Amino acid sequence: MRKLKVAVYKFSSCDGCQLQLLNMEEELLQLSSFVEFALFYEARRSVSSGPYDVAFVEGSISTPHEVEVIKKVREESKVLVAIGACATSGGIQALRNWANAEEYKQYVYPRPEWVEVLKYAEPPSKYVKVDYEIRGCPVSKEQLLSFILQSSKGKTPTLPVDSVCVECKRKGNVCVLVAKGVPCLGPVTMGGCGALCPSYGRGCYGCYGPMVDPKPEVLNTRFKELNIKPKEIQLLFKQFTNWSREFRKVIEEYE
Amino acid sequence: MSLTGLYVGRAVSLRILFSELRRLGYVVIGYKVVDGVLRLGELNSFEELAHDVEDIQSPGKYSLVSGDFYRHGPDSPKRFLYPPTLTLFKVSSEWVVSVPAYEERNIAFFGLKPCDLASIKVLDKILLGVDEYYTSLRKNLVLVVENCVSPGGTCFCSTMNTGPRARDSFDLAYTRLNDKLVVEAGSELGLKLLNLLEVEPIDDVTYERFEVMMRNASEKARAGFELNGLPEELELRIESKTYEEIVEKCLGCANCNMVCPTCFCFDVFDVPLIDGSAERVRVWDGCLNFTYGQVAGGHFRPDLWARYRHFVLHKLAYWIKQFGMYGCVGCGRCITWCPTGIDLRETVKKVLRGGKGG
Ligand code: SF4
Ligand code: SF4
Ligand code: SF4
Ligand code: SF4
Ligand code: SF4
Repeated sequence: MRKLKVAVYKFSSCDGCQLQLLNMEEELLQLSSFVEFALFYEARRSVSSGPYDVAFVEGSISTPHEVEVIKKVREESKVLVAIGACATSGGIQALRNWANAEEYKQYVYPRPEWVEVLKYAEPPSKYVKVDYEIRGCPVSKEQLLSFILQSSKGKTPTLPVDSVCVECKRKGNVCVLVAKGVPCLGPVTMGGCGALCPSYGRGCYGCYGPMVDPKPEVLNTRFKELNIKPKEIQLLFKQFTNWSREFRKVIEEYE
Repeated sequence: MSLTGLYVGRAVSLRILFSELRRLGYVVIGYKVVDGVLRLGELNSFEELAHDVEDIQSPGKYSLVSGDFYRHGPDSPKRFLYPPTLTLFKVSSEWVVSVPAYEERNIAFFGLKPCDLASIKVLDKILLGVDEYYTSLRKNLVLVVENCVSPGGTCFCSTMNTGPRARDSFDLAYTRLNDKLVVEAGSELGLKLLNLLEVEPIDDVTYERFEVMMRNASEKARAGFELNGLPEELELRIESKTYEEIVEKCLGCANCNMVCPTCFCFDVFDVPLIDGSAERVRVWDGCLNFTYGQVAGGHFRPDLWARYRHFVLHKLAYWIKQFGMYGCVGCGRCITWCPTGIDLRETVKKVLRGGKGG
């Protein structure tokens, strides 16, 4: 069997998502019989040149230089997969999109003029075509593994699309929203984490971002009815995937 | 049907019933208090069965308080008979296909509510003889039903003719009238169990009380619409704008599908494993999920209101054509467990009120 030739790239991010590949400690050896990590700076020094079958891309595009690189990555990859909240919606660093980055630079860097940034930190899909999104902050290694295994068998990869609630119910969790009045983003968030937070009695923080065809504004209204404080509602939506189009609508109401 | 008519015994003899089922080798499943709600689970002792609690249910809300009568929680028998995740078969790396042997289990539901008994009758129609897992469990299933003297805030079984008193298809049905127990057997096994309980034929006074309580309960569990001609009326109003109005409050989260004791829709995934083998897995799915109506080349119901309308009409109209019975048993779970409290009863009433064009 020909091995899947994989590249792993990083843009503005914390490295947590690509680390999930290395976190497959038990599977990694077996994985290497399906996959050749042709480019993976965090894991190996040697690099084979493209084209690649699959490029996993972590991080958001925040600088003019990154725009150039992502275009190059697109050219040399058959399938481009955005991994993690940064690469699918802008991630935590997109919080700066709500503030004035130029001003912040003055406080943080001795030579702010050396730091070139784009106005917004945004997902690669803003600049190039992205074929798949694997969500999460960080992505789950189970999903990464499943994606790789499916691809290596020539199967069209499938990823979860329904709400976290569906996973919550399948798993047999008690709904924290209905039974405890805890604000939970589950009903508008893409599944895939196995309803991790509600499994521990906490509301979902939405780190997998908006599901397909979500209704965050309806959940917003519901939270208000439950007397959740406006600031709390805003902060709930303004987390890992704050710059996603759907969550933005709610956040803006409170800006 | 009742084999025996009504008998009276003492409420404490439920314990005997429980022990006997265990002695006969049944896994006894009943309601326990878990995480502040009632959950169906295996009971290792009679004490584990929920007691002295009441569930307060209303649209989008659920809580437990102390009390002496409860109805149900988010689980229904579906969770056991038609599990949320099931491996259908495995394919080894050498392409050998194997179907997992479903372990024979003798399950007895204890204190199940009449609406849930009715949901098993609905599932029978759909899955019995079709779904192997279901069929294997159904064969030896024992159903001990507790009639409802006090329906909850989202119950509407009277309207759906499924409760609050079970009329047939049970092994044993009991009703708690304070310290008394009114019992009837519906099968040979039920009769055997009944004989262990020190009961006597019901006296007139108790019978009167029982009838009054059941009548009152029945009044409480009405939806505010009638079943007569309902499928036709709903189909006539299929263009009703009401669905769009209601769905302004809908999240498309599919909690309603998941908690519904009769929703049987599923999705199938092929899961490759690292050792080169693979599994085909079936999971609960539902029509409120976006991808459910998505097919190669298009989508049947891209709009949420159309998905919601499908849910309502499937339960209350199409099911009749499909299976000759209603798909809704009036348990009210979809109302309670909807995060925004969308109320199926209100939807139906509103659609009916709207007239043909509305
Ligand atoms: S706890 Fe959250 S995710 Fe789970 S069912 Fe309730 S609302 Fe949905
Ligand atoms: S719907 Fe009827 S049978 Fe079911 S719990 Fe409520 S009252 Fe009991
Ligand atoms: S549609 Fe709602 S009320 Fe009817 S059976 Fe399903 S969950 Fe119960
Ligand atoms: S109502 Fe929807 S989920 Fe339930 S059985 Fe019908 S189509 Fe399936
Ligand atoms: S009706 Fe309620 S439970 Fe069902 S999808 Fe809509 S919001 Fe979710």
